[in-house]
Amino acid sequence: MPGFSILRLIQVGFRSLRLHKLRSALTMLGMIIGVWAVILLVAIGEGASREAQEAIKALGAQNVIIRSIKPISDKVQLQGEMQWESIYGLKNSDAVRIEKTVPGVKRVLPILRHRKNVTHEQRDKDCQLIGTFPHYPQFTQSRLVAGQFLNEMEEARKENACVLTMSLAGFLFPGKNPLGQEVIVRGRESHQIFRVKGILEERADSEKLPQQADATGHTILANVYIPLSTFKALYGIKDIDLSVGSISVNTVELSEIRVEFGSVDEVVPALPLIREALDKVRKDKIDYEIQVPINELNALKAQKARDTWLLMLIACISLLVGGIGIMNIMLATVTERTQEIGVRRALGATQIDISVQFLVETLILCLIGGTIGVLGGCGNAAFFHYILDHTTIVTEWSVVVAFGLAVGVGLTFGLYPAWSAARLDPIEALRHS
Amino acid sequence: MADRNIIEIRNLTKIYDLGAIQVPALNGLNFEIEEGSYTAIMGPSGSGKSTLLNILGCLDRPTAGAYILGNDDVAHMSDKELSGVRGARIGFIFQSYNLIQQLNVIENIHVPLFYQGKDISDYYDHCEKLAQKVGLGDRLDHRPMELSGGQQQRVAVARSLVNEPLMLLADEPTGNLDSTTEQEILDILDELHAEGRTLVVVTHDDAVAERASRVIHLKDGQVDKDIRKQDSDRKSENQFQEA
Ligand SMILES: Nc1ncnc2c1ncn2[C@@H]1O[C@H](COP(=O)(O)OP(=O)(O)OP(=O)(O)O)[C@@H](O)[C@H]1O
Ligand SMILES: [Mg+2]
Repeated sequence: MPGFSILRLIQVGFRSLRLHKLRSALTMLGMIIGVWAVILLVAIGEGASREAQEAIKALGAQNVIIRSIKPISDKVQLQGEMQWESIYGLKNSDAVRIEKTVPGVKRVLPILRHRKNVTHEQRDKDCQLIGTFPHYPQFTQSRLVAGQFLNEMEEARKENACVLTMSLAGFLFPGKNPLGQEVIVRGRESHQIFRVKGILEERADSEKLPQQADATGHTILANVYIPLSTFKALYGIKDIDLSVGSISVNTVELSEIRVEFGSVDEVVPALPLIREALDKVRKDKIDYEIQVPINELNALKAQKARDTWLLMLIACISLLVGGIGIMNIMLATVTERTQEIGVRRALGATQIDISVQFLVETLILCLIGGTIGVLGGCGNAAFFHYILDHTTIVTEWSVVVAFGLAVGVGLTFGLYPAWSAARLDPIEALRHS
Repeated sequence: MADRNIIEIRNLTKIYDLGAIQVPALNGLNFEIEEGSYTAIMGPSGSGKSTLLNILGCLDRPTAGAYILGNDDVAHMSDKELSGVRGARIGFIFQSYNLIQQLNVIENIHVPLFYQGKDISDYYDHCEKLAQKVGLGDRLDHRPMELSGGQQQRVAVARSLVNEPLMLLADEPTGNLDSTTEQEILDILDELHAEGRTLVVVTHDDAVAERASRVIHLKDGQVDKDIRKQDSDRKSENQFQEA
């Protein structure tokens, strides 16, 4: 068929659809909603998954994180009813043993954490006091914003040096340079003065306290890093918790051990060996848990693949419903325009001409519906992203698939009405009114 | 000049097969229609006029017999071929005008061109002249809804002419019109006849039949009377060039 005929067909198709604007709009609605939903849902899913992947990646795909956990009913009562002590968790010796016995381990990082109140002048904040080794930043892919991180000498000499997370530094030293300044870490027995020597921008979410908004509505990540040796010397390993009314003491040598492997491939095979190394010195109480970021990442990816199929299924169903709606309307249109079909046949239209005409009309409906759906879905996703600050990522394939399905559905569901129009007997059709 | 036959029908038979019964509508018709003639087909209701016209218009096929249109036997053509013949060689004028509602006057006139695969932009002038000829040169962008019955029928006449058909077929073309409008349409048909076009008009109306050069009366699917009027000689006064 020559080009001008196709243009003409499209033009005439538009005319016919414009004749019943509301009906055409309602017919398209199914298609619009279907396409819109697919694009938006995929964008939301993609955004969420990308965020989670980033968070897991920040933990380090080559890392294994072992955390101390308190075993159930493992309390020893101390002096009277109101004091309890639990002794559990990871030990320095565990870290050493893992480094020595598990193949593929590049290095380990011990971490000890207590909750402490930190002040500078009038300002104070509940923080996590973190005792760790100088290579902490490399392990956690944290970025040093200013100054230096802790060094070996400070560790060896148990110096009172500290590094603050950026938001905490901003809170304690508003409008001032925190470097070289002092903060006071308040303990039960004594208050200790620490010199601020660096500021760290934390990437990994692992150190986040349950986030509390401050007076200005901002949540701040409040970590204070000090040498592990200093930590142990000043505060010991007993963490005293007064919050429940009674005094409970958690005696934990290390809160966490991070194990870094030379390559990602070595992580999973080494897991049983890590367990073995830890369980060797434990009876049967389980006082640690192992987090494997690479496994979580893989699980997340598998989950995402499943979600994607589910979304596709929903997309197909909604577009199917939209398609049935379109078929329904087109069948009604064919009945309504039977006389016009008869006239066109009398004026020389072949059966193919007639079916093409109705197919074109169906296709126009689907293309417009699909286009509105794509624009709506993308716009909606952008609104979520930029206005509501909810990460969404519009993927190309979702646009292609949604639009392609819309058109495919249109063609499929347009065929039957088109065929039923073409097969009408011209004389019968002419007589119809 | 010897009359050239545009139509030759031989033993034309149409039987409607309703399964249980067979309804004979045309029982072996034989006649010719000459180029440039103006034929009225009359007869009582149910005599087979519309059936005959549908077959002449290639909208339907005869059950038996031969139908030669131009030089082709169209009695046994496929649906696709018949569509082509309808579009290229026949101009239809219907009782109920049958314009396409969503198209305006000029676009309605374009429609038959479209199905012949002609580029409409080459025919704008042609179509406009036709519209002027039927007196609607100033209504080109009006929709059928905005026109009177007579005006709509004029559009239909212009549309029937757009592909330069071999003949015009009309089934009760003035059946829906009042007598004044009827006269106007009949005048246009007269004019077309005078130009040398071939017209076949089915009618109940003596006023229409009066204008024709020949009246074929049908009865029970057969030719009852076939009257050629003397004044059909006026055709010879209006000798036309062969296309
Ligand atoms: N589709 C059909 N199926 C069965 N019988 C039909 C059909 N069309 C016409 N007939 C029959 O064929 C015969 C001729 O009908 P036709 O419509 O040709 O008559 P007509 O002369 O045009 O009548 P009218 O003046 O009322 O229009 C009638 O007996 C009619 O019942
Ligand atoms: Mg009739």
